[in-house]
Amino acid sequence: MNSRRGSWWGLLWALLGALYFFVPMYGTLDFSLRMIKGQITLEAYRVVLADPAFLQAVVFSVEMAVITILVSILLFVPTAYWIHLRLPRLRPVVELITLLPFIVPTIVLVFGLIRTFGRPPFSLTNTGATTNILLVAGYIILSMPYMYRAVDVGLRSIDIHSLTEASLSLGSSWLDVIARVIVPNLRVAILAGSLITFATVMGELVLADFLVRPALGPYMVEVGKDTVYQPAALGIMSFAITWAAMGLIAIFARGDTARRLTVR
Amino acid sequence: MAFLEFSHVHKEFGGAVAVQEFNLEVEHGEFISLLGPSGCGKTTMLRIVAGFEKPSAGKIIVQGHDLANTPPNRRRMGMVFQSYALFPHMTAAGNVGYGLRVAGKPKAEVEKRVKEMLELVQLSQFGSRYPYQLSGGQQQRVALARALAIQPQLLLLDEPLSALDAKVRAEVREEIRRIQTQLAITTIFVTHDQEEAMSVSDRVVVMSRGQIEQVGKPFDIYNYPRTAFVASFVGTLNQLHCVVADPQAGKVTYHDQVMVTPGPIDQPAGSPVVLMLRPEELRLGAGGENQIASQVQSVSFQGSVVRVRLKPTASTNGHTALTLDLFNERSLKLPEVGQTQTISFPAQACWVMPANAE
Amino acid sequence: MAQLTQAPPAPTASGAALGARRAAAGQFSWNWLGVVPFFLFIIAFLILPSSRLITDSFQDPTGAFTLANFAALFRDPLIIKAYRNSLEIGVATSLIGGVFGFLVAYAITLGGAPGWVRSGLMTFSGIAANFGGVPLAFAFIATVGRTGFLTALLRGAGFDIYQNGFSLYSFFGLLLAYNYFQFPLMVLTISPALEGLRAEWQEASQNLGASSFQYWRDIAFPILLPSILGTMLLLFGSAFGAFATAQALTGGTLILASLLIGTEIRGDTLGNANLGYALAVGMVVIMAVTIGLYALLQRRASRWLR
Repeated sequence: MNSRRGSWWGLLWALLGALYFFVPMYGTLDFSLRMIKGQITLEAYRVVLADPAFLQAVVFSVEMAVITILVSILLFVPTAYWIHLRLPRLRPVVELITLLPFIVPTIVLVFGLIRTFGRPPFSLTNTGATTNILLVAGYIILSMPYMYRAVDVGLRSIDIHSLTEASLSLGSSWLDVIARVIVPNLRVAILAGSLITFATVMGELVLADFLVRPALGPYMVEVGKDTVYQPAALGIMSFAITWAAMGLIAIFARGDTARRLTVR
Repeated sequence: MAFLEFSHVHKEFGGAVAVQEFNLEVEHGEFISLLGPSGCGKTTMLRIVAGFEKPSAGKIIVQGHDLANTPPNRRRMGMVFQSYALFPHMTAAGNVGYGLRVAGKPKAEVEKRVKEMLELVQLSQFGSRYPYQLSGGQQQRVALARALAIQPQLLLLDEPLSALDAKVRAEVREEIRRIQTQLAITTIFVTHDQEEAMSVSDRVVVMSRGQIEQVGKPFDIYNYPRTAFVASFVGTLNQLHCVVADPQAGKVTYHDQVMVTPGPIDQPAGSPVVLMLRPEELRLGAGGENQIASQVQSVSFQGSVVRVRLKPTASTNGHTALTLDLFNERSLKLPEVGQTQTISFPAQACWVMPANAE
Repeated sequence: MAQLTQAPPAPTASGAALGARRAAAGQFSWNWLGVVPFFLFIIAFLILPSSRLITDSFQDPTGAFTLANFAALFRDPLIIKAYRNSLEIGVATSLIGGVFGFLVAYAITLGGAPGWVRSGLMTFSGIAANFGGVPLAFAFIATVGRTGFLTALLRGAGFDIYQNGFSLYSFFGLLLAYNYFQFPLMVLTISPALEGLRAEWQEASQNLGASSFQYWRDIAFPILLPSILGTMLLLFGSAFGAFATAQALTGGTLILASLLIGTEIRGDTLGNANLGYALAVGMVVIMAVTIGLYALLQRRASRWLR
């Protein structure tokens, strides 16, 4: 056919794609290493890591991320399993719900949360701890499309009914079915969902900023206002976190599954 | 001059030989099957004819025209793929008319032809259905209509029935043959199912490991196979290991028993040979030219045929068993397992091949 | 989940059948208990806030019902400008990111790029598609900002992009930054679709006399179109609703709907809080239409390719 012409045409676009990926990353990396004039130095990173506010922000975000992940798992896994096994008619309804976070932009969501819960009778924005509830709730909603979808994909890739029936016919109890058969097959999906959630929460700005919580996102905005090299360093570190999350997913999931678990 | 001619066709894939020394002449209107196990090169040959593979050596000549430089979309051959390959976003009518639309035919002509083709495959009511709304057999027929719509010079079928279930398979294959005869279109049919190949073809080309083993009418392939491969691949085969006794008279010995075969045998006396027989040529009971005492091992009632497995009493290893097919009759008394029975057959029913022949 | 504490049912009665029989008999089915927490959560933190916004958008400051807020959406020049810019950036990135992404996806699937290039680009697409917000802005500032790496490089070679009209802190700059996560998303979605184009379809089309161009025009593109359009809708949606990167790069110089809502939350810039709610609802409506069309296209695509 026209494989010869196809070859360099293909290579051209692959090259352009690669450039678009790498040039900004390389530029940021280079920039981040030039805090001291004329030298390649890790000074920008040192300054960031030495900043107590940075550490506080990271710790806070990690805490929120972990809580979000745990609550998400407890909320979504049983629901997804139940829908698949017992309530298949609800599946379209739930799928629609998981699309809602795309329909309601985060800025609108935070607007609604503040409007509804920031006033009496809830007044959740009065203290830090209660505002965190709103924050985590927001995060759970943001991560729902990924987490729920990941679990859903995981459940669909195993034939729940047949596995459940096979397990029961071999004499297991319901608890055995869930613990020994279903959940082990969902481990990868849950891990993938958790990793994406983690990356999302760590980089999130809108909820944290408007709910005035000391997360990593607002910290980065502050740093970006007055300094030049630290933002670049933070950019690289953010990228590294996302890369690590995706990498871990790729390690634990097999090729095509990994892609299906990470694309909206 | 033959309608289609293969001349010394040879095909290699990076050092591995897929097809070698393929020579064949096909007459206009013939229905030819390429029959063989997977990997024998039959699909490769079909794809070479269609133009999706280029032969490493040799020529394909259609109506006097060497196809070497003709790209696949200029060959005017209709191909039916194993997976049907219907375009999922077009209706059945859309699929059938595609070749004509691509050729720039006027709309009215396309519609007329599509209608004709759908009628031919008896799917007139299904024109506006999409492939996912059709059953396997229906998709198959749409694929056939699509291939025929362009009035191709050759019809190529790549294991078109393998994805269908048994009952539908028989129906569709009859229909393909009916249409092919009606349109008198030269056809090459690739399959690994020998019953399928024999039931619809004018001639069968048996292939193995890239080579032609035998070409002939189904009757000849079945009853006069030229190689041991053809003999065992086509139909069920009984084999008895014998020793040549009298080459001129065609006599061999099976464990001290003399068997009469249609002579002469061109092997010297004393050489090991294999006596071959079809199951339906054996009879239960004494009274034939050749007789073998044996014991019934199993009886399998298959409907119109009763298949009996027997072990010759003279046999020393535990492996030799003979298959004997009886036609069902309501008054039949089925043989019982463990019974002693005599098997007999006339000399004309068997033939002899050298032992260890490939 | 009450079901778990009961004795295991007989092997022949699967749970679904059991539940169905119960439901059919009109008895209370414990099945629903399993999903109540989920629905409660969604109602509390998603449905409720959204519906508050909707109801408030139909009210004036005194609480009376009014459509004036929505009327103002179409008359207030600031709001019109905000929507216009947001729509423009959404359409622009979905087209540019979509086309570019398609070409890259083609390159790595059918276009003959070697295997390692393919897996490398797919991996990076997975990372870049999830990389956005403030770090993305930082990355682009560090690269093509006034003192960025690439800017300096080009200046050293004699070409100052800022002198020649380019600015990262503008509509175009935002477009550039957004594409960083837009085209990878297209690559990720379309690559499987391109690979899903069965070789036999092309062979069948050739067999029927079609040229390569005709194959793409009549068969490949129509089959791919729902996926391409669907993904472009997603690209549009994500650019339309994005906040963080826009804030970091343009900081108020570019008026976008999302940024306008942001300033509205912080202080009553529009003079009327309910107008802000209408603004938000307007965004949701646009997004709902977008996602609705997306879902429709998905269904069409999956139906054909069953």
